[in-house]
Amino acid sequence: MKLLTALRSELLKTKRTAGFYFTLIAAALIPAIFLLNILTGGSDLAAISKDPLNTMLEMDIQRSGLVFFPIFVILVCTLLPQVEYRNNTWKQVLTSPQTKANIFFAKFLNINLLVLLFLAANLVFMLLVIVVTHFSNPALNLLNQPLDELRLLVRIGNSYVTMLALCAFQFWLGLRFRNFIIPIAIGFALWFTGMMMTFEFQSGLVEFFPYSFQILPFMSAFQPKMAQVAWSSAGYAMLFLLIGFLDFRSKRMNA
Amino acid sequence: MDHKPIIQTSGLSYHYSRDVQTLFNINLLVERGSIYGFLGPNGSGKTTTLSLLLGLLANQKGDIEIFGQRLHANREAILGKIGSLIETPSLYGHLTARENLEVYRKTYGASKARVNEVLEIVGLYDSGKKAAKKFSLGMKQRLAIALALLPNPDLLILDEPTNGLDPAGIIELRALVKKLNREHGMTILISSHLLSEVEKVASHIGIIYKGKMLFQGLLSELQSFQQKGSRLLINTSDNEAASKLLQEYHPEEAEGMIAITLEDQLQIASIQRKLMLNNLDVYLLQPEESDLEQLFIDLISTHS
Repeated sequence: MKLLTALRSELLKTKRTAGFYFTLIAAALIPAIFLLNILTGGSDLAAISKDPLNTMLEMDIQRSGLVFFPIFVILVCTLLPQVEYRNNTWKQVLTSPQTKANIFFAKFLNINLLVLLFLAANLVFMLLVIVVTHFSNPALNLLNQPLDELRLLVRIGNSYVTMLALCAFQFWLGLRFRNFIIPIAIGFALWFTGMMMTFEFQSGLVEFFPYSFQILPFMSAFQPKMAQVAWSSAGYAMLFLLIGFLDFRSKRMNA
Repeated sequence: MDHKPIIQTSGLSYHYSRDVQTLFNINLLVERGSIYGFLGPNGSGKTTTLSLLLGLLANQKGDIEIFGQRLHANREAILGKIGSLIETPSLYGHLTARENLEVYRKTYGASKARVNEVLEIVGLYDSGKKAAKKFSLGMKQRLAIALALLPNPDLLILDEPTNGLDPAGIIELRALVKKLNREHGMTILISSHLLSEVEKVASHIGIIYKGKMLFQGLLSELQSFQQKGSRLLINTSDNEAASKLLQEYHPEEAEGMIAITLEDQLQIASIQRKLMLNNLDVYLLQPEESDLEQLFIDLISTHS
């Protein structure tokens, strides 16, 4: 109950911040590019000729998941804790009658709500693109195609779970550093390392490296190992949250 | 006034780094119903002490009891009855005054009516949809006080609340502090580096200097101590003759005038009478204002 009260405070703080609008804009980017490509007769039209409805959704999740989604998570994990640093409000938060555990986990839940909002908004925007495509390209007959709901849910679920480790680590960094450049720089460097390890070096270590996890659902070689990757991500997330919480608990407010 | 202590610390010490000790054996005693002025120059350890009282810093040595309970065993229950403002106002700039209070309303278990009440008390009821970042410093300070008042606290801790306020804002704040103490029975611990500021509102004074408590007691006790050591400056038509006349007061020469160390205010009247009866024209008869720095020096020399 007290955690919900703390979460309510966090949600109120997020009101009218860049975080909320940033989520919606980030979620709309890939659907918007997709729409432009379709309307201008780009290569995507040829790519979706077979099973167009499910292929369009698959392409959206893949394109968002590789670049925009991890960048969004890195930025939002930094932006939200910055609300307290920017407004000099840590003192007020830490002298209010709530446990540090509630403060810490309410902030993490708030970030996760934005992450889920990103996924939901991305899906909604993509459905809008599908509706527009249906009318601009009647031959595809998109709205009458069968939808593979289970596959869609598994894809979205995998995107979320494989992002948890990265999210927890970035959240810890975002809380730890007053200077927001540091967590963003570390996040981008690690994300780029994850990409390089997966595509350039094709390293066997990617299934142990949290910043590669979000790429693996889109690689056919890792499909049989997805359950293991998901558990690894959840395990890392718990570890990073524990370390982050211990660090936060010892947080000293300089007088 | 109930004289039970609302805050009691014993042997409180703190260091930020191994080599630099910030607080030494602080024994703070704040009585219920009092306005306690916590006085000291910048860097003397006021904010560190207040941060320890609010649990912002981990206690390293000594005990803290608030409302008769140990702080670290009852942190949440104690903080629920304390309103605080530490240094600069802690506000969310993108939110309105009402939204800032709404963020903490449920945390403190306050009603919606209480939000209106505290906005009314600090005169921000009509601040409308203006974001806090567009407030003047005085308005921000008042909103921060509204936030501190939200839980209807038994104890209000204000750290340098007049910082950055204009004279009108300082007078308003002083009146508000007195009103909260008188009408709402709040115990108030207010820190400042200005003696003149604190003595206008406080019933009790604690003086901290270089991390050590130099004085703690009633304001009247401090005032008598201050008067005891203060000097009287005298300038007459014939200072040489005046010096001879006032030999019993051990006069000293001070920048072309005579300076006498006062024991009490009655001496001023008696000196004036003596000078007049001996046909000396008195141009100046002025008790030298003992500033905080001088008071500290006096207290330090008393302690040593």
